[in-house]
Amino acid sequence: MATTYLQLTNELLRELNEVVLTSSTFSDAIGIQAHAKDCINRAYDDIVMAEPQWGFLATGESGATDPFYGNVYVETVAGTRWYELKTASSSVTTDYGAIDWDNFYLTTIGVSGESAPYTSQNLKFINSPDWVRYKREAENADDSDSQSYGKPTHVIRSPDTRKFGISPIPDKVYRVWFFAWDLPTALDAHGDTIVFPDIYASVLMARARYHFHQFKDSPQQAAFALQDYKEGLKKMRSNFLNPTPNYITDDRRYF
Amino acid sequence: MATQPYALACEGGLDKSSSSFELLRKPGAATLLENFEVDIAGGYRRINGYSAFGSSSAANPSAENDILGLHVYADGVIACTSTNVFFSQDGTSWLQINKASVAGGGDNHTAFTGRSAAARTSQGLAHFTTYEGASDYGEVIITDEGSGGKPFYFKMTGTGSALSSRTFFAQEITVSGTHYPKFCTIHDKHLVVAGAATAPNTIFYSNTIADSDDVTDFTGTGSGSIVLDDQVVGLKSFREDLIIFCRNSIWKLSNINNASTIVVTSITKNIGCLDGKSIQEIGGDLVFLAPDGIRTLAGTVRIGDVELGTVSKAIQPVIKFIADNIGTYTISTIVIRDKSQYRLYYGTSTTGSASRGIIGTLKTSEQGFTQFQWSETVGIDASAAATSGFNSNGVEKHYHGDYSGRVFNHDTGDNFLDSGSAASNIISKYQTPDLDYGDLGTLKTLRYAKLSITPEGTVDTNLRIRYNFDNLDSPKPADYSLSIPKPSLFGTAVFGATAAHKFGAASDPITRQVVEGSGHSNYFRIFSDNQNSPYTVNGIYIDYEPSGRQ
Repeated sequence: MATTYLQLTNELLRELNEVVLTSSTFSDAIGIQAHAKDCINRAYDDIVMAEPQWGFLATGESGATDPFYGNVYVETVAGTRWYELKTASSSVTTDYGAIDWDNFYLTTIGVSGESAPYTSQNLKFINSPDWVRYKREAENADDSDSQSYGKPTHVIRSPDTRKFGISPIPDKVYRVWFFAWDLPTALDAHGDTIVFPDIYASVLMARARYHFHQFKDSPQQAAFALQDYKEGLKKMRSNFLNPTPNYITDDRRYF
Repeated sequence: MATQPYALACEGGLDKSSSSFELLRKPGAATLLENFEVDIAGGYRRINGYSAFGSSSAANPSAENDILGLHVYADGVIACTSTNVFFSQDGTSWLQINKASVAGGGDNHTAFTGRSAAARTSQGLAHFTTYEGASDYGEVIITDEGSGGKPFYFKMTGTGSALSSRTFFAQEITVSGTHYPKFCTIHDKHLVVAGAATAPNTIFYSNTIADSDDVTDFTGTGSGSIVLDDQVVGLKSFREDLIIFCRNSIWKLSNINNASTIVVTSITKNIGCLDGKSIQEIGGDLVFLAPDGIRTLAGTVRIGDVELGTVSKAIQPVIKFIADNIGTYTISTIVIRDKSQYRLYYGTSTTGSASRGIIGTLKTSEQGFTQFQWSETVGIDASAAATSGFNSNGVEKHYHGDYSGRVFNHDTGDNFLDSGSAASNIISKYQTPDLDYGDLGTLKTLRYAKLSITPEGTVDTNLRIRYNFDNLDSPKPADYSLSIPKPSLFGTAVFGATAAHKFGAASDPITRQVVEGSGHSNYFRIFSDNQNSPYTVNGIYIDYEPSGRQ
């Protein structure tokens, strides 16, 4: 069972010789106890911000729905370029925490009415300046005048980061798969659990201790805790993000 | 950051007058000291309880009537209750001593018990004085504040342990006409009485006592009376003078044995005594309850009516409460000489186990001057009557009575007694001021406390810590339970008979308790609610970790 918010807070309180909380007093924590709770959440955020693409933040399991690399898809509409990355989100505060823009995939598999042979291809990311310079005018003319659409080949990120665009404007319904990561929900109730494995709780504790000692104006203790946190975070990165061999890739073959 | 040490010695007593910031510089004082007493040997000691006079066979002198007065006499105690006066050696049987028509040469026990009663009509709170003289046990004079009866004289002779072998003398004393004085004292071979409802500002003094009749004679050689400007509320012989406590003034009568030079002079005309029962002699001085506090006579003589004359400044709010309700409360006081203590109890017939009192211990402070250090009692229903004195064996005895007719051995045992005479717990509390460890601005995390507690038996007490002046926003650690076994000391412990005691333990053990929490300041409260033996809290050592200014 994952470590709970109460357990983390009490571990911090115990370590600093403060009065621990109980499940019944947790929501009414006062003074230093409330600060300990804040420190835990702050440390939690710090770990998440360090690597927004932690595996444990993935929006869904890859390939859970269809055997594609991606955990989220959006279905296009013929003649529509821009799509919200997270359609259920109303603002940036509830959007995905991270998107792998180099990993968009277009297919007709799963689209209603489609049958083999299906369309399947990678969508190459094109940055905004290039798209503006080379494609926008022609495609806008298609959109407004000729209604001449096509099979998308590129994906674009909107300047507000909330949407993706595809180029050319799709001529029919496709599924656009991509990989997304959620923003974590702040710990609130005493039984709320952290999203990563318990063995990494010590990294969170080190960071929480760092914040707590700063509050207590103990720079030396804070420095020790910060060092612990950095070393712990390095191990987390190593274990979560870099467990595979490194390769050098030649991108020229995509042109 | 490295931890820091801090130690406080329990010294100074209860302080309810200083501000919380002043108390930061008085760590040894107490902001709460209930059912503790300042120990003349140092520290704060949980008080003794009390026990029934007569133990399990105790009998009331007179049903459940209020005890109106007690007086240590001979090898027992005299008790006034209802309209009668009784004497008992052991509390299991009481001899009525307010008898009429007793033979001038004394009655034997049979004759005495057969006499009719000389009813003490409308008897109120009683006052006693003893003329030691040359008789076996001295002669006792009793007056009462009911002002419905003459002063009563009683003497008992015979050294046999059985009352049946003794001779009894008793009679009413006619002072002047129908004046029934309330207060009495023996002063320089005179019985002095005063405060009669019919002559509240007149003092009467008897013949110069030369033989056995003189103490009861207010008409012969050496007798007389003096009219004062103020109403008398108490009399006390002090050294060469008779101190006359009036409602709004204090007087001194000198040269009572010289008719040509006898004189009454004023000590103060601005301060009086609130209650004659509060007057006691302790530490070579007279203390009494004045409107502005407990005062010493010497202090009042020296510096008049200024507030500096009070010795109870530290508990002024308590004194003010008593003074504001003096018309409601009955006052009794007792001096416990071997503890250098003055105890004042206040309450009513209905306060019962909620009755309160104050204990002043005359103690030499660290600075080298002797002063009263105070504490409070809760649950000792002794305002009806309390007395101390030396019995015929020279042993100091202490008694108190309640409003249910019961008489108790005062200051003994490990428990109180409830209204049904069942043993009840002593609830004691000692609380330090908030301690800032020298700097209120720094946050401190407490690591552990070492408590020096001297047990007189097995101690089960509790430690409570609260931070930042008990700020509601500061987390409150749970109370810590402390159990300290009584050490089995060589020469006193019996092998196998003291199973709960710890062999080889120190007589003044240090108990280490890991504590938690942090704050800019904190207080410690040591409290117990049981019938265990007393213990003395000598001091507290604290290990804390300072951190930054918040």
